Amino acid sequence: MDAFRKIDIDQYDEDVLPDSELFPTDPRDPSTLLTEAKQKAAAIRNNLSKGDVAGALDIVLSDPPYGPGVDEAKNLTLQTLVTILNTTKSTDIPPILKSLSQDSQDTLMKYLYKGMALPGWGDVSGSVLLGWHEKLTEVAGTGCIVRAMTDRRLV
Amino acid sequence: MILLESNNYIIQTTLAEKLTKPSSLDVQFVDFDDVRFHLSTPERKTQLVLSMSIRCWDELVRYGVHSILQREYGSMVKAQPEPEYNVSLELDLEQFPADPEARESLIQSISLLKRNVLAAPFETAFTTQKELAAAGSGQGELLALHYRDEEAIYVQASFDRVTVIFSTMFREETDRIFGKVFLQEFVDARRLPTIQSAPQVLYTTNTPPLELSHIPDLVQTEDVGYVTFILFPRHFEKQPIAESTISHIQSFRDYLHYHIKCSKAYMHSRMRHRVSEFQKVLNRAKTEVATGERKTVSGRSLVR
Amino acid sequence: MSNVLRPYLAAVRSTLTAALTLEDFSSQIVERHNKPEVEVGGSKEVLLNPLTISRNENERVLIEPSINSIRLSIKIKQADEIERILCHKFTRFMMQRAESFIVLRRKPVKGYDISFLITNHHTDSMLKHKIVDFIIQFMEEVDKEISEMKLSLNARARVVAESYLSAFNS
Repeated sequence: MDAFRKIDIDQYDEDVLPDSELFPTDPRDPSTLLTEAKQKAAAIRNNLSKGDVAGALDIVLSDPPYGPGVDEAKNLTLQTLVTILNTTKSTDIPPILKSLSQDSQDTLMKYLYKGMALPGWGDVSGSVLLGWHEKLTEVAGTGCIVRAMTDRRLV
Repeated sequence: MILLESNNYIIQTTLAEKLTKPSSLDVQFVDFDDVRFHLSTPERKTQLVLSMSIRCWDELVRYGVHSILQREYGSMVKAQPEPEYNVSLELDLEQFPADPEARESLIQSISLLKRNVLAAPFETAFTTQKELAAAGSGQGELLALHYRDEEAIYVQASFDRVTVIFSTMFREETDRIFGKVFLQEFVDARRLPTIQSAPQVLYTTNTPPLELSHIPDLVQTEDVGYVTFILFPRHFEKQPIAESTISHIQSFRDYLHYHIKCSKAYMHSRMRHRVSEFQKVLNRAKTEVATGERKTVSGRSLVR
Repeated sequence: MSNVLRPYLAAVRSTLTAALTLEDFSSQIVERHNKPEVEVGGSKEVLLNPLTISRNENERVLIEPSINSIRLSIKIKQADEIERILCHKFTRFMMQRAESFIVLRRKPVKGYDISFLITNHHTDSMLKHKIVDFIIQFMEEVDKEISEMKLSLNARARVVAESYLSAFNS
């Protein structure tokens, strides 16, 4: 009786959807993710020096770290991706994009938006990201954007 | 009309009208810078009394306004001005010259009453400058004229120039920024070959220029601007040029603020136009609700 | 300018087209009410991820989609004081007339200059691609208008200064 009006009744409402049910949490824990991200970064540097951009993109876009609490890994992945995007020539972009799987394309779209939300962070360059966005939309269609909007797994 | 006129339009037209057809009259009207006029026929229809009240009369008296009044209006100046006014002129319509040209120039001179009165400090400064020039060096006294509530004109003669400093108050931020653009153009305009001989203009916001640094309680907030005009002897050596310089420089503050307001009004009308354009585009997006007539096969229309 | 402007507007256009898939959705919280979910911001499942499209730090578009409404906020480029004042006046002018603009929001979202709220009712009565056209045209025109106003202000200032100072010569 003393707890009248002090209990948050909404938390007991069955219909309310808590965050954890909105998307499956990443089974890997933060430190694993961080090590994975670093390994990927090393592999990508290798690929870039060989000039294999498609391979580098494949690596960075597969199994990206997502969800809350893994900011370091996320930042590292974003930074690596931005480096790849900045160093690619604009004429090479369309064939690379066509070679990516649909999942990778969706992930790339998510990263593009994340990059644009942080102008001036690291090496982020608005014009580069916009160029990639335009070409990716041509290749993957508007559906890719919709998936980036609705997918709760925030990279 | 870009430049403001120095004469008072109302005085001019009223006098011209009354000369052709005298009648009794009692009007009060105003001019720029809080100057009030009163034009009336207290005794007879043909005798007009024009009085003027101006905020900085006491300072003007110090700078020799009475001698100017004597010079310009002579016997028309009444010894005792009307109550609440600073100076009164008695105009006898019957004594006006018959010759139309002379009449015109007399009317013109009367309508320049405010300009003539405000010329006092400038004429004093010009005379001082000539004296200093003869002496070869030195600086005259700083003549202050508080002609508006929070704004003032300062005139100072030196041996080779006369400096006129305006302090003007911008109440809104928009005014301040527009004012800055305008004043920057004033400063830069000298690079044009045609106006290289114009006075030099400098301006500062917030901090007063060096010449005024010794005056206590000067306003020093963001909204105040100080504009300095440097007049060289060629601007006032010869008499007609000196007169036009004085008329011109008196109205500077009003000129500036008038054009700032004009620009704001222009921006407004542009924005209004642009907004209506946008609305037209948006209306194109609306679908037409289908209420068209329906016709049967044989051609008769159905009434819904 | 236009070589970066084109992909910027193209990105906004494609993102907006993707986001404008709105359907009617009655409020889950209050019976018989129908509110724009992006404004209420109540339940997480009806709100989608907000997306930003930016050209550089000074020009951004934020699109916050939800199931029955989207909120689009634009930050307009303002390089100096004059442009800042002109932009502020212009957006204020428009927002005062938000009633007749239908899709305009009366107050911009914090950090942006102007915001639009498009609900499913609007998309029902208006053609979707035309709404997108309107927004894109708006973005282009606003930039153009502000630079034109700035130019005309500078031109006027020059004329004013010249006529005043040349009068000293005569």
